[in-house]
This record gives sequence, structure tokens and C-alpha cells, in this order.
Amino acid sequence: MKLSGLALGVGLLLGGTGLAQAADPVTLHFWVAWDPALPDAKIAQDGIARFEKLHPDIKIDVQDMSFGAMHDKLITAIAGGQPPDVSWGLSEWLGEMDRMGALADLTDAASTWPDRSAIYPSVLAGLTINGRLKALPHYLGIRGLLYHADMLAKAGITTPPTTWQELVDDAPKIHAATGKYAFGVANDSVRAPQELFTLMAQNDVTLAEPRTGGRFRNNWDTDTAQLQRMTEVLTLYQTMLAKGVIAPNATSWGWEEEDNNFALGQYAMVMDGSWMHLHEAQYPDSMRDVQIAPPPKLAHAATYFEINPIYVFKASPHPKEAFEFASYLDSKEYQSLARPTDSPREDVRGTDKWATGFAKLTPIGKTFPPIALGQVSRDMQEAIGRVLLRHQDPATVAAWLGRAINKDLRKSGELAAS
Amino acid sequence: MKQSRAYPGTCADKGTRAKVRTPPRQLTRAAQTRRTALWFVLPAVLFFLLLSAYPLLRVLWQSVRYANLVNPSISGFAGLDNFRTVLDDDDFLPALGNTALWTALSVTGEYALGLISALALNANVRGRAFFRAAIIVPWVIPIVVAGLTWTWMLTPEYGVLNLWLVQAGLIHAPIAWLGQTGTALLAVTLVNIWRSFPFYTISLLAALQAIPADLHEAAVIDGAGSWMRFRVITLPHLRVVSMTLIVIHIVWTAVNFDFIWVMTQGGPLNSSETLPIMIYRYALQNFDVGAGCALATMMMGFMASVFFMQYYGMRRIASSQAGTA
Repeated sequence: MKLSGLALGVGLLLGGTGLAQAADPVTLHFWVAWDPALPDAKIAQDGIARFEKLHPDIKIDVQDMSFGAMHDKLITAIAGGQPPDVSWGLSEWLGEMDRMGALADLTDAASTWPDRSAIYPSVLAGLTINGRLKALPHYLGIRGLLYHADMLAKAGITTPPTTWQELVDDAPKIHAATGKYAFGVANDSVRAPQELFTLMAQNDVTLAEPRTGGRFRNNWDTDTAQLQRMTEVLTLYQTMLAKGVIAPNATSWGWEEEDNNFALGQYAMVMDGSWMHLHEAQYPDSMRDVQIAPPPKLAHAATYFEINPIYVFKASPHPKEAFEFASYLDSKEYQSLARPTDSPREDVRGTDKWATGFAKLTPIGKTFPPIALGQVSRDMQEAIGRVLLRHQDPATVAAWLGRAINKDLRKSGELAAS
Repeated sequence: MKQSRAYPGTCADKGTRAKVRTPPRQLTRAAQTRRTALWFVLPAVLFFLLLSAYPLLRVLWQSVRYANLVNPSISGFAGLDNFRTVLDDDDFLPALGNTALWTALSVTGEYALGLISALALNANVRGRAFFRAAIIVPWVIPIVVAGLTWTWMLTPEYGVLNLWLVQAGLIHAPIAWLGQTGTALLAVTLVNIWRSFPFYTISLLAALQAIPADLHEAAVIDGAGSWMRFRVITLPHLRVVSMTLIVIHIVWTAVNFDFIWVMTQGGPLNSSETLPIMIYRYALQNFDVGAGCALATMMMGFMASVFFMQYYGMRRIASSQAGTA
């Protein structure tokens, strides 16, 4: 009797626990890198609250950090087997995380995803590695030339420069008329390699060429014409510094200084993304005259096309819910509110200058090759530093960068034999 | 009473063991104290094994293994390959030089400023108690807060220091102190000196106050000037505390990571990169944990050598002082 009573008690206890577990909502850990001071953070938080209301069985635990900290934290969390379920990230990390085997294969889940047809096919292709979809798109960070029209007008310039030579030639006029520098660069952050990549794409320089077996190789050591074109790109940086196109202190700017100084009207032009519209609310006076144009050309027109991803991690104990949440971030409802100007959806198109100005640039967009870019990005940043801060010979730096890229590919196991 | 003798291994022996229970051995007071002491020491031993010994041994082990987080295909015993990776790295020698410069300038500046301020605070001046309390402020400010505040003050666009320097006519235009290869390490070093010298001040002040006043009085009567008294009386009394301070700070400064990371992250262009920053880069940016551990092992060996040199140096000083007495 006592034994059966005990068994009954244990059974009830276990059953009760089971019931309680079934009723407990799933908690998804979601890492973001928004700036709480900007309006998009508030919109995103509201969107997450709406998702939780629509899915009472899923709770979202948000952790906010900078992109720089996020990369290091993600890599160590993956290595420690404790990544979040879903995370913001940069497109440069795609190859690296795929090599680590950290990303969930979303191909099957996405095949029945109703919104799939609304996403630009080229965007999904950009997030696909070896035929498998490895992330969902978050927004499109295509780069254009942003310029303060009033500053250019003061200098008697009616149309923004269409080539880099024109921009360099316009710089003294702008400085004489406004006392401000003509252009801004970010040489001390993840933005620096993105800007360098744009110039490389414009001059037909390939960072790493694909070979068989998913391997890559930088060719500049054998392709002297390409090395020469890379040298021209680095020379442009030196020219801009020597001729006072950029501020002398811009050699140590990160993306924060680049964005804020432009928003404050401290210089006239920058290659930047549509997120700059967020500064309109902060600095309405100095942002009022900002216009968007295609980036100036070198050999031909090209710009960096950042397909910003939402990563879903393989180690998530709740893959179904993680995909549900990640795909909600691509829903028309969420994208219309949070990403009206840079959505990866074909059916979300804003009508203001920010949306139309950048959308026109999509055909000239270029993406990074799907390699582990962590150290490669730092080497690209160092190359800019070598020409700007140490004033090294651009040809020597270009040759150094080519060797450094192959060394990085060897370390990550991606280097092709030839 | 006659007891039967049981030979070991025989049935009689086994029977005796089963039946006769030896009374528990009484511990002496000293043994009891030792046992109690061991229990008290045990948590510290466990903490040491868990938090110091295990990580250290793990670093040593990983330094001879291939461990790259973004390239899991390579693993296994690496021999000295990771050490070769570090020594072949173009940034290694500059980082070693930066570490030496950063440590030497920091410790020298901190000691000089600490000694001057300790001597000033040891003098009988008005408001001495206030100054003694106020001087500790830089040392109690968290490093991240101090680092970020100084970074903002040194910024060329809106930094107050640049503004003052321009207004004073010392510079023509704001300078990116942390953004130029020639100034970044020196700027961080100055901030580090500002932050750390109060520790020297407090320690040296305590040593100064322990110097018997009659020594100075007697020297004055003998006609010794202030420089002579400082050289012959004050400095010898500060010798032990100075040596301890300097050696501790050589180790602390050489392994310091946070100040440089907060202010420059080793940049621009690795111009303020020291060995600890390089270890971080290897392990947590390049994810080459093996190379990071190899460099950490090399640094650990160097730091241990400094410690042992200080230890035996102190022993020699102590024995020479005993001999003099």
C-alpha cells in the first residue's frame, strides 16, 4: 500500500513536471548589434514583442553588443558549443562560420517557406554555399555616394563626381568654399575592408579566385596586371591623403567617426549605406541636404553589396522555432516597419530618396567571396594603414597583401594548390 | 597474561585480526593541529589546482598542439610548430619591443612620480590629509572607465586636451594621439603612469614614515644637506619596498592587456601592440589557439624568470644587510 502510494506520488510528480515542461515556452537566445539610441532599435524591439504575442510558446532573449564584440563572442561561443539560437551578423563571417560547421542548413526549411518567393533570388544565392542555404537575409547594405548637396553647391559643383579623379579635383574647391574636407573614409574598423573591396571591384581586382574543391587562391603573384590594378587602388588612398581630400585624422577613423562626422556635416561626401537615414532624426539640420548617387568609378562602376544575414545556429536545441523566428524577421510586416529602405524583399520598397537611391545601385553590387574573412579583413585594413600611416610604397603593400591573403587561406584550410 | 602468537598469513593470524580490534591511535596535539590546518588549506589548494595549475598546464599542452577554431581539420601534436609560427611572425619582434618600451617607461614614470609625490606628502604641509586621500583617485577608477575617458579627451575632433593644447599655442591643429603610429603607445603609457603611480605613492609613503626621525636630526646636526640625507638615509630605507614595487609592476605592466585594448586595441597598424595583445589576437581573433598558447608559454617563462631573479635578489639584499648588522 505504502509502495503503491509512493509510486503514485512519484508518477504524479513526474507527470506534473512533464505537463509543466510542455507548457513552458521555448526561449530563443538572439544576439543583436543595434544602437539603442537609433530608432531602428525601438522598431526591432516592437517587432520582437509582436512575434512573442503571435507565438506565445516562444520567448526571445535579446543580447545587444557591438558588431566587433559579436564576432569574437560568436566564434568562442561556437567553439564552446554554446552559440545563441539566432544572431545578427556580418556577411564577412558567412564563410568562416560555415567552415566551423556552426550554421544550420536552412535549405529544407526554406523550401516550404511561404515568403521565399518574395526574396530577391540573387540575395538567397549570396547566402548559399555549395547549394545549401546557410543564412536568411536581414537587410541589403549596398553602398552609394552620399553627399551634402549644399556644400557642393557652395563650391560651385552642381553634380556629384562620377569618377575618383573628379572627386580628387573637386576637393580643393570644396575646402576653399566651406573649410571642410571633401571625403571621409573609415580605416580602423570592419568598414575599411568593405570600402577597399568596392575600389578593388571597380578596378577588376579579385580578392581570392575560386578553384576546384571549394578552395581559393589569390593570384596577384602570378597575374602582374592584377597586381598593378591593386597598386592603383592603394595609390588612390595615398593621393586622397596627400591632396587633402580626406582629413589627416581620418586615417584613424572607425565607422562611428565616419558616419557621425558626415551626419554632422563635417565633410562633404562618403561611401555609405542607407542606414544613414537613421541620423536624420538625430541631426535634422545637417542631414537635410544629403543626396545619394552611385559611387565614383575607377575602371568601371561597382559597389560593395552587403547581404546582411540572420544566422541560425546548428547547435540550437529548437531549430524549428529558431527558423520560425528568423523567417519572421524577413516577413513583410517586420521588414516594412524595420527595413523599408533596404529590405531584401521585392515587395518592400520605400518611395523616399533613401530607398530609391540605393535600389538603383543593385545591378552594380559585388559581394565578398565565401571564404573565412576574419584575418583577411584585418590584412586589408592593415594594407590601408601601411599606405596611409607608414606611407609605404603601394606596389610593395599590394604584393604583401596578396601573400597575406594566401597565408590566411592556408591557415583556414581553404588555399588551393595553384 | 599470556598471549598466543599468531604468525602473519596463518589462520591463527586472520582469526586474531578478526577478533581483536586495535584501539584508535591517539593523535598528538601537533598532529591534530596539522590535520586541522590541512582542512583549512584544502580549499585554497583546490582553488589553486582548478584556477591556476589546470589552466597553466592546459596552456602548456595546447602550445604543442594544433588548435585552430576556424580550421577544425587540422589537429594533433604540433611539436614546436606553434613556437615557429610566433617567431616567424613579422609582428613578433615589434610587439616584443613595444612590450619592453611600455613596461620600462611605465615603471620608470610611475616610480619617479610616486617617489616625488610620496616625498611631498611626507612633508608637513597644509592640507596633507586631503592630498593623501585625493592622490589615490586615479588608482581606484576602473581601468575601462579611465581608458575610455582618456580616449575621449585625446580625440582630435572633440577632445578637451587637444582643445587646450591648441588654445595654449603648443600645437597648431588637433592631433590624433591614439591614431598615429608614432604617438599611440606613448599616449597610452602616459595614461597608464597617471593611473598607477598612486600605488607607489602609498607604498613609498608608508616606508618613508617608518624612517626614524632621529636619523635625519642627527644628520642635520652633522651638517648633512637635504640631498645628502635623501641619498644616505632615505633611499637605503626605501630599497626593499622599491625593489618589491618595481618587480611587481614589471610583471603587472608587461602582462597588462586591458588598458591598451580599451584605448587602441594595439593599433594603429600594431604600433601599440604588446605581447598580451598579440596573444589575444592569435587566440580570439585569428582563432589560432595553439600559437596563442605558445606565445603565452614564452611569456610565462620570461615572467617566471623575472620573479625568481627578484626573489634571489631580495635574499641577497637581506643576507648582505644581516652581514652588515
